[in-house]
Amino acid sequence: MRKKVNSFLLRIILLILGLIVVYPFIWMLSSSFKNNSEINALKQTLLPKVFTLNNYLNMNEHFDFVRFFINSILVAVTVTIIVAYTSTICGYVLCKYKFKGRKLLFGFILATMMIPWCVIIIPKYSMMKVFGWMDSYKAIIIPAMFSGFGIFMMKQNSENIPDEIIEAAKIDGANALQIFHRIIFPMSRNGIASISIFQFLWTWDDFLWPYLVIQSKDKQLLSVGLRMFNGQYATDYGALFAATAISIIPVLVIYMIFQKQFIAGIAASAVKG
Amino acid sequence: MLNKNHPLQSKSEVILRNIVVTAMIIYFIVFLIIPIGTAFVGSFHEWNPLSGTFRLLGLDNYRKIFTDNLFWKSLSNTIVFSFVVIIFRVGFGLAIALAIYSKMIKHKSFFRMLYYMPVVTPMVAVAYVWKFMYHPQIGTMNQIFGLNVNWLMNSKMALPAIMLMTIWKDFGYAVVMFMAGLYSLPKDAMEAADVDGASPWQKFRYITIPLLKPMILFVVITSIIAYIQAYVQVLILTEGGPGTSTFLSSYIIFDEAFVKYNFGFASAMSFIMFVVTAVLTWLSFRVTRSKG
Repeated sequence: MRKKVNSFLLRIILLILGLIVVYPFIWMLSSSFKNNSEINALKQTLLPKVFTLNNYLNMNEHFDFVRFFINSILVAVTVTIIVAYTSTICGYVLCKYKFKGRKLLFGFILATMMIPWCVIIIPKYSMMKVFGWMDSYKAIIIPAMFSGFGIFMMKQNSENIPDEIIEAAKIDGANALQIFHRIIFPMSRNGIASISIFQFLWTWDDFLWPYLVIQSKDKQLLSVGLRMFNGQYATDYGALFAATAISIIPVLVIYMIFQKQFIAGIAASAVKG
Repeated sequence: MLNKNHPLQSKSEVILRNIVVTAMIIYFIVFLIIPIGTAFVGSFHEWNPLSGTFRLLGLDNYRKIFTDNLFWKSLSNTIVFSFVVIIFRVGFGLAIALAIYSKMIKHKSFFRMLYYMPVVTPMVAVAYVWKFMYHPQIGTMNQIFGLNVNWLMNSKMALPAIMLMTIWKDFGYAVVMFMAGLYSLPKDAMEAADVDGASPWQKFRYITIPLLKPMILFVVITSIIAYIQAYVQVLILTEGGPGTSTFLSSYIIFDEAFVKYNFGFASAMSFIMFVVTAVLTWLSFRVTRSKG
C-alpha cells in the first residue's frame, strides 16, 4: 500500500515538473493565436478567448519571415548532409584503419571540442573577409564542413561494426569506397541519425556566426531575423509570439519524430566515451 | 605518417585513408590551428579591423585586462552563473533520472522525451519566450505568481532570471545522460547488494554514485565548457544589463570584438577564458578522482 502511494506521488511530481517544462511552449503557442489587446490585458487566460490567425498572416508584412525560414532550412540541411557524411567517413577511418599518428589525431579532435568559440571567432571572421566569403553562405557552410563532435560520435559508432564484415566484403572484391558506401554507411544509420539531428539543430540555432557574416537582409537566417524583428517591432507582441513559434515548431516536430534515435545516439556515445 | 602501408590494408583503402586524413588535417589547420595562432598573436597587438590597425603592444592587452573592472565583474558573474546552473542541472538531473529509472514509474521514455524537449529547441527563440514570460506586464511569471517584479530590469533579479531560464532549458540533458548511465550499470552489483540486505540509501551511496561518477564528471565538464561560452541568453534577455549585472565573460568578449571592434583586447580576454576552461576541466577531473 505504501509503495502504491509513493509511486502515485512520484508520478504526480514528475507530471507537474513536466508541465512546468512544457508550459512556456504552450503559453507561447496559445499567445500567438491571441490578438494584441488580449495579450496586453491585465487578466490573462491560457487559451485565447478569440482565436485569430492574424499574427501569422500579418507577420510577413513587416518582415520576410518565409524567406528567412527557407534560407535557414536550406543552410541547415546542406550543412547537416555534409557533416553527416564527413563525420561518418572520418570516424570510420579513425576507427578501422591503423596508421601512425591516429591516436594523436583523434586526441586532437577531442581537444577541439574544448576550445571556446570566442578564441576562434575573431580570426575566422577576418579570414572570411580575406577569402571574400562575406555575405555568402560559403562563410557558413565551408568552415562547418567537419565537426569534432561528429567525428568523435561516429568513431564510437564504428566500434560496433565487426571487422569480419569488412574482411568478407574485401574478399568479395569490394574496394574501400564501395565498402564504405554500401556497408558502413547503412550500418551507421543510428549514429548518422543522431549526428544529423544535432547538426541540424545547431545550425538552425546558431546566431552569432550568421549575424556576423551575412549582411543582406534577404540572405539572413531565421535566428538573426528573429532578433531584427524584435528590435523593430518590440511592441507588436502577437507578431513576436508568432515569429518565435515559427522558429521553434519545426525543431519540435523533428524532435518528436526522431526522438528515439536521438536520445539513444547521444546517450550511447557518452557511455562509451 | 600518411604513406606507411599497413599489411592488412588494400590499395584502395590506403588511398581512401590518405584522402580522408589529409582533408581532416587541412581542415583543422585552416579553421582551428591558424585561427588560434592568429588570436594568440593578435592578443599582443592593437588590432582593429575597421581602421586596419595591427600594432604590436606587447603585454599591454593582458595588463589592461587585469585592471579592467568589467572583466573581473563578468568573470565573477560567469563563475556564479556556471556554479549555480551546474549544481541544479546535475542535482535535478540525477534526482529525476533516478525517479524515472525506479520501478515505480511507467512510461519512462515519455518523461524522458518531455524533459529533453527544451534542450533541443533553439536558444534564441527560447530566450525570447522567456523574455516575454519575464515581462512585468504581460509576462506569465508575474501573472501566475501574483508578483510585481521587473525581472530583467532589476540588477538583483536579472542574473538569477537568466540562470532559471538556463536550468529550465538544460537539465533535461543531464536526465538523459544519467538515465543512460543508470541503464549501463552492472545488474549483478545491485542484486548482490539486495542479497546482503542493503538499504536503498546504502545502494545509492555505495553503488550507484561511484558507478555513475564517470557520467557525472562528463556532464560537469561539458557543462563547464558550455556555460563559460554562454552568451545568447544574455544578448537576448538583458544585453548585459541592468548596469553590468549580467555581463558574462563570453558576452563581454562579443561586445569588445564586434561592438567596439577591439579585436586584440578581445583576443587576449578569450585566451584567458581558454585557460580558465582548461584549468576548471582539469580541476573537475582531479576532484572526482581523489574522492574515489
